[in-house]
Amino acid sequence: MKSNISILWILAVFCLILAGVYTFWNVIDPAHGRVEWVGTVALLLSAILSGFIAFYLRLVYRSQGGELPEDNVAANIDDADPEMGHFAPWSWWPFVLVGGASVVIIGISVAQEGNFWLAWFGAPIVLVALVGWVYEFYRGRFAH
Amino acid sequence: MANTRPQISHNGGVTSTSLNYAAKAPKINRPNNVAVGTIVWLGSEVMFFAGLFAIYFTLRSVAPEIWAHGTSVLNVPFALINTLILVSSSFACQAGVFAAERLQPRSTGPKPSQWGMVEWFFLTYALGAIFVAGQIWEYATLVSEGVALNSDAYGSAFYITTGFHGIHVIGGLIAFLLIIGRGYAVKNFGHKEASSAIVVSYYWHFVDVVWIALFLVVYVLR
Repeated sequence: MKSNISILWILAVFCLILAGVYTFWNVIDPAHGRVEWVGTVALLLSAILSGFIAFYLRLVYRSQGGELPEDNVAANIDDADPEMGHFAPWSWWPFVLVGGASVVIIGISVAQEGNFWLAWFGAPIVLVALVGWVYEFYRGRFAH
Repeated sequence: MANTRPQISHNGGVTSTSLNYAAKAPKINRPNNVAVGTIVWLGSEVMFFAGLFAIYFTLRSVAPEIWAHGTSVLNVPFALINTLILVSSSFACQAGVFAAERLQPRSTGPKPSQWGMVEWFFLTYALGAIFVAGQIWEYATLVSEGVALNSDAYGSAFYITTGFHGIHVIGGLIAFLLIIGRGYAVKNFGHKEASSAIVVSYYWHFVDVVWIALFLVVYVLR
């Protein structure tokens, strides 16, 4: 994890320097002469994005000392096969959720004069699917 | 003159096996995927809000006279109190996370030191809901004073930045309800439940920090 942390910090510093260069260049350029905010904000927050993830990984690294196979010269490729987490192979809830979300999005897309009537039919489906998915392993046979 | 260099290619002229390390599996201690994934997603949220801040600053730099009018009607003391309410909700949320890390979903007594995750998250929910209610009251007041989504560039920038933040807060409130529900539904509160409580707290702290940035930009810097 150490190399990931270093790379992200390098990216953060790079974006920070570029934000300064970009801002300064816009100000001294006679054709422009003022701060161009879109680029400045985007570069500055790109630095925050990288620094934020680096900072978090650093905390994780310090608290558990995790070493990834990428950091280990003796590791094999398949050591990096990750544990993807806990997913139900038979769950229908994601299907219901995207179905409901689609109805909501279509309802918003075809709305005329702010009348989202179709979206209101999708909203309860989204709600049911969300609750169903979150509590899939908290009820019935697999309650724990 | 003939080329006298020996022709050594990969596995051609080489007789030894390639360098081999110890056959034992390396010790791999992976971080929690849910937690790291949430942080990476929050990183993408940083860039989402970057777009909104860019809109705000660009419009502000090209239309300073609209800004002078729009910011003059803002109620800064009210927004400050609302900010403090949201910040205090983050502390309540963190106390709930500490309870979740103790694997304690419910309270063992009436004192706050005995509260479990559920009680702290209810408090967090209440504070967050007060914040949203305050935002709605502020919006209604501003609209009555002529700053609306469709009034001018300031109105658009103000409502799109604070409004998207408000939607994030509402999303967080729904997430807290689902986590509280898990606290009640589960029979053995374990690391899976603690994990989901912790990542919701990450999201909540993130939304809180974004609001502090928004408060500084919209109400202090103007």
